Amino acid sequence: MKDTLKNILQPYSVMIESKKDETPEICTFTFSNAGNEKRSLLPGQYNMLGLPGYGEAAISFSSISPDNKSFIHTIRKAGNVTKAICALNVGDKLEIRGPFGNGWPLKKAEGKNAIVVAGGIGMAPLRPVIHALLKNKKKYKKLFLIYGSKEEEIILYKEELEAWANSGDIKVLLSVDKETDSCFLGLCHGLVTTLLDKIDVPLKDSVSYVCGSESMMRFVCKGLIERGQKPKDVYISMERRMKCAVGHCGHCQIGAKFVCKDGPVFAYDEIKKYADHLL
Amino acid sequence: MAFVLSKKDLFNWIDDLSSAKDVFGPVLNHRGETIFEKISDSKKLDLNYQSVMTSPRKFVYPSRQNIDQRSLDKAKDRVVFGIHSCDMHAVSVLDRTFLGDHKDAYYAKLREKTATIVLNCNKACKKKYPNYTLKGFCASMGTGPFLKIKKGYDIEITEIGKQLYLIEPNSKKGKELLGKNKKLKTALKKDLSQKSKIERAALKTFTKELDTKGLPKLLADNLAHPVYRETADSRCLGCTNCTMVCPTCFCYSIEDTTLYDLKTSKRDRYWDSCQEINFAKVHDGNFRETREARLRQFVTHKLSNWMEQYDCLGCVGCGRCMTWCPTNIDLTDMAKEVQKVAKKGKRK
Repeated sequence: MKDTLKNILQPYSVMIESKKDETPEICTFTFSNAGNEKRSLLPGQYNMLGLPGYGEAAISFSSISPDNKSFIHTIRKAGNVTKAICALNVGDKLEIRGPFGNGWPLKKAEGKNAIVVAGGIGMAPLRPVIHALLKNKKKYKKLFLIYGSKEEEIILYKEELEAWANSGDIKVLLSVDKETDSCFLGLCHGLVTTLLDKIDVPLKDSVSYVCGSESMMRFVCKGLIERGQKPKDVYISMERRMKCAVGHCGHCQIGAKFVCKDGPVFAYDEIKKYADHLL
Repeated sequence: MAFVLSKKDLFNWIDDLSSAKDVFGPVLNHRGETIFEKISDSKKLDLNYQSVMTSPRKFVYPSRQNIDQRSLDKAKDRVVFGIHSCDMHAVSVLDRTFLGDHKDAYYAKLREKTATIVLNCNKACKKKYPNYTLKGFCASMGTGPFLKIKKGYDIEITEIGKQLYLIEPNSKKGKELLGKNKKLKTALKKDLSQKSKIERAALKTFTKELDTKGLPKLLADNLAHPVYRETADSRCLGCTNCTMVCPTCFCYSIEDTTLYDLKTSKRDRYWDSCQEINFAKVHDGNFRETREARLRQFVTHKLSNWMEQYDCLGCVGCGRCMTWCPTNIDLTDMAKEVQKVAKKGKRK
């Protein structure tokens, strides 16, 4: 074995270029990718964001700059590592590894309708999908964004949502679980599945990209399939505990699939057949 | 090229090797159990050992390992002598994980630095100790009692007669280890046929069996079989022994530790276990919260999903998981229980 063998467990440093508090619990960071532009970054892929002494957490891209010069991660304070990362500021450095994972299969939707269904923080990994869909909007028939949140205050990327809705290129449908007086972009009260009936195109001619909590994905996928979508056209992004990100540490296994390297994006019927998930 | 060496000369050769580098081998400890230890004197070697609790996987994949770049340079050349066929097969199974589509630099380094000398088994391991019994069934898994793989090891040794050993180097490194040992005599045809004869005799000593034909699919089709719940609820303690002694288990966890200067930290990885309750926990929930789910994960991974992942089974039939299970849970019993379903189905 040559010494030039790349050490996949060895992180490299990136600097925080900007930070934005989306909500008290969620921060968005922009990182410079200078010097690593050759690493191609795809929507749906993720980085292992690490802080020495704390550990690493797998976080999906929530935006990728077209020239690969920077990338964005939206992070919710969930555990030790994410809490420590969210306490950092512009100019601080992170030790990261990546990108890992397969990414969203956007080609599958070409010539068809594309339906993006997000739940809560699941909006973050789907944002680069919408960027990519809008960039090549001529390739797709009709675009939908269906986005459900717990409450109005934690809806992410509000300005961008408005811009998308106003552009008319994508139909934006919002829902919140908690009752609200707000009518931001016509949001309605109820679970995200109530919005599925508002899709006014035939589902068998559509491809869906779904991300949210596993129970949310369960009902969204079932809802889509009941309404005529083929299970192989429903793509979901799974979340599992990942330590290595390359299929060695075994934590993320669902049946024979390693979520970290075979996923995190799977076709619904590809992952459903195994045990130990909520789908 | 194969050679013949007397037991005395074999031991002399090992003594020569251990004066030059670290040599590890099976040594009898004070409790009458064999363990793999650094050998300074070949007289301590126990060549008739049947099985060891901690398999030689620890030499290429230690139970705890620092994963900072600089620790890569610290690996030293060493020799592991007396690895049984099943354990060597297990290392080749680990190779598929760690040297597959993504290569693990730390594993690759240790694998490269570790010379492996295999010692074939002349009989099935089923020795009874006061507190446990060995339960090897490598013959059913195609991993023993004699080596079946063609590469990935350096020397194969077989006892072909009283005090007489057949030595078959299988790599450049293996040939280098043998060096210019003048005691080596070229093996004759009769020595090689003696080897086959001993292998046939060894195969007859097996009493424990598992029929693996069609097993991966059968297990995948019967994920809800009650055997997992019944076994888990009545006997599984969730102690993780099975996965700690398994020679093919590759799961690990990563841990950062702040050092005493409070400024620097180190990152280690250590063997983790799917039988541990928090193994599949994410902030959203625990996807294998029940012992039933965790036990099913172990059985179906070894005997079913492994096939889909690596095109081989994850069980080499060493029998350690059942030997060291405090409640004697037997992987093959559970598989056989599921196989009964298939037989019943056929009768209908």
